[in-house]
Amino acid sequence: MTGKTARLIFWLGTLSSAAIFLWMTYDFHRQTPRLTHTDRLSEEVVAGKKVWHKYNCNDCHTILGFGAYYAPDMTKAFYRLGEGNIASIVQHPEVIYRHSFRKMPQMGVTEPEVKQLIAFLRWVGEIENRHWPPQDEKFVTAFKLREAQAQNLNKVDVVMGACGGCHSFENQGRSIGGDFSAIASRITYDRATLIRFMLNPASVKPGSAMPPQNVSPETAALIADFILSLKVTREVRQ
Amino acid sequence: MIRYESQRVSLWYIRLALVLFVLQVIMGLWLSINYAFTLPQGLVDVFPFSTARAIHTNVLVAWMLLGFMGGTYFILPLECDSELYSTKIAYLQLVIFASAAVTAVVGFLFGWTRGKPLLEIPFPLNALIVVAALLFIANVAMTIIKGKEKSALQWMLLGGVTFLALMYLFGMPFYRNLNTDYYYWWWVIHLWVEGAWEIVTASIMAFIIMQVTGVERKVVEKWLYVETGLFLFTGIVGTGHHYYWIGAPDYWLWWGGIFSALEPLPIVLMVVDTWMHVRERKHEIINPLTWYYIVGLAIYHLVGAGLWGFMHTLPPVNYYTHGSQITVSHGHLAFFGAYALLNLTIFYFALPRMKNIRRYRDRAGKWGFWITSIAMFMLGLVFGVAGILQTYLERFLDIGYSTAHLTMMLWFRIAFGVGLVFLLGVVVTVWHLLTLKPVEEGVPE
Repeated sequence: MTGKTARLIFWLGTLSSAAIFLWMTYDFHRQTPRLTHTDRLSEEVVAGKKVWHKYNCNDCHTILGFGAYYAPDMTKAFYRLGEGNIASIVQHPEVIYRHSFRKMPQMGVTEPEVKQLIAFLRWVGEIENRHWPPQDEKFVTAFKLREAQAQNLNKVDVVMGACGGCHSFENQGRSIGGDFSAIASRITYDRATLIRFMLNPASVKPGSAMPPQNVSPETAALIADFILSLKVTREVRQ
Repeated sequence: MIRYESQRVSLWYIRLALVLFVLQVIMGLWLSINYAFTLPQGLVDVFPFSTARAIHTNVLVAWMLLGFMGGTYFILPLECDSELYSTKIAYLQLVIFASAAVTAVVGFLFGWTRGKPLLEIPFPLNALIVVAALLFIANVAMTIIKGKEKSALQWMLLGGVTFLALMYLFGMPFYRNLNTDYYYWWWVIHLWVEGAWEIVTASIMAFIIMQVTGVERKVVEKWLYVETGLFLFTGIVGTGHHYYWIGAPDYWLWWGGIFSALEPLPIVLMVVDTWMHVRERKHEIINPLTWYYIVGLAIYHLVGAGLWGFMHTLPPVNYYTHGSQITVSHGHLAFFGAYALLNLTIFYFALPRMKNIRRYRDRAGKWGFWITSIAMFMLGLVFGVAGILQTYLERFLDIGYSTAHLTMMLWFRIAFGVGLVFLLGVVVTVWHLLTLKPVEEGVPE
C-alpha cells in the first residue's frame, strides 16, 4: 500500500461516515417531534427536567438507560409507580425506604418541584422508544389497559399495575409496602374501610407512610375485593 | 535526554494527572461500598452516591485530558524540531484547567452541578475549560506552524485535539427535549472515546512506537492513516448504538448495529501494527517496562473496548443489557485498557527522559503494571457477573429490581476487595513514576 492510498482511505472513511451521520442527524430532528410528542413538551415538563438536573437524579438513576446504574431506571417510572408514589418517594425517601437495603437521600424537593418532576416523567414515559426497558413494559400495558377497559382485566394485572410500585404478590411488584398475602392475613378493615384507606390512608390510619392513591373508586373496590379474597382463602385453608 | 527545554511543561500536567488518578480510584472504592452495603440514611443525605459518582467520572475525564495535553506538549517539540510556541500559555492553561477542576469537585460536594452525567460541571466552569482548551489548541497549532519539521502525525494530533474540543461544545447548552439532550450528549461522550480520543491515542502511540522501535516514519504514518480512517469510519456512524432506545427512527438499529460491530477492526489493526513494529524494531530494548505498556495497551484496548463493546452492541442483545452493570464492566475495561494505559505509556516515555534517566529501575513499576492490569480485568469480570445476574433476573425473568440488586450485593463486596488490590497497584505505579531512579552502571538488570 502506498502512502497515497492510506491517505485516501482516511479521507474516504471519515467523510463518508460523517456524511451519513449528518444526514441521519437531520432526519432525527425531523422525526423527533413525532417520536417524542413535542406538542406535549410543555413549560411544566421543561421545568420538571430542570428539577431532574438540579437534584442530580441522573447520577443514581438511569433515564432512557443513561446515567448511573445505582437506582431503578426512570424512563417508565410514571407507569411503574404512578403519580402518588413518585411524590411520596421523592419527598419522604427516608420513610419509604426505612427498611430498604438501599437508601435514597432526603433532598428537600418542594411541592411544586414534585409536580413538575411528575409532568416530566409522564412526558418521558410517552417517548416512543421501542418498549425499553423490558422489565417495565408490564406496568405500561397494565396502565393503558386500566385506563381503557378496566372490566376486562385479569385481577392480578389490575392490582399489580396499581400497587406493584410498592407492594408485592407472588414474585411480582416491589418489597416496600409489604406482600399482599401478609397484609391479607393481618388486615382487620372491612371492604368500605379498605377502599377509604386506599384513597386516603391518613384518614383511616393517621401517620401511615402510604400515600393517597390516584385510582378510581371502582378500581379501589376491585383491589379491596382482591385483598379480602386472599384473606378468605387463607381462613378456609386454616 | 530532553532535547527542548519547553518539553518540561508536561511534568506538572503528569504529576497532577497522577494525583487525580489516585483520587478517582478512591472514589470508585466508595461507590462499590454504596452497592455492597446498606448505608445509614444520615450519611446518604450528606454524601449521596450521585455526588461520589460525579467526582469519580469527572476526575477520570480530567486526569486523562491532562495526560493527553501533557503528552502532546512533550512530544510536539520533538516532532516539530523546535521549542513550544509558548511555555507561558501552557502553564496558564494548566492553572485555569486545574482550578476549574478543583472548584468543580468542591462544588459537587455542595450540590453545585448541572446534573448531566459526566458533564456535570456548571456553566462558568465550563467556560473556563473552553478557554483552557482554546489556549491549548492555539499553542499546539502555532508550534506546528512555526516548527522546522512538518509531518502528517502533527496534523493528525492537532486534528484529534481540535475535534475533541469541538465536540465538548455540544454538551454545553440546555436542551428542552430529553431525547435531543441525550442525542448530543453522545456527540461528546461517544465521539470522544470512539473518535477524537482514538485519534489522539493513535497519533501519540505512532510517535512513541517510532521513537522506541526506530521503525521508519513512512511505515508508521501509513498505518496511522489507515487506522484513524477506520476509527472514524466505524466510530462516527457507530454512535447510533446509543440511539436504539431513546426514541430515534428505526434505521438507527441497522446503521448503529452494523457500523459499531465493525468498530473492533481498527483496534485489531493497532494490535497487528504494534506487534509488527515491535518485532521489526531497529533499537534494542532499553526499558522493558515501557514495552510492557505499549504491548499491554494494544491488547487491553482490543479486549476492553473492542471485544467487550462488541458483546453488547447489537440491538437484540442491547435490549437486555442497555443501562445495566454490563455497561459498567465494559466502561471500566475500555477506559482502563485504552486510555489509562495510554496515559501511563506516555508517562513512562516522558518521565525518564525528563529526569535524564536512560535506563530506570523498574521492579516496583512491573509490580504496579501487573497488579493494576490483572485487578482491573478481575473487576471487569466481577461487574460482568453482576451485570449478567441483573440482566437475567430483572429483565429476563422479570422478578424485580430489588431482588436483582440484593443478589448483586455479594459481587460488589468482591468488587470492593478487588478494587483495594487495584488501588494498591495504582499507588505503586504512581509512586514508581514519581520517584524514577536510574540503574547504576555495572549493575546487571
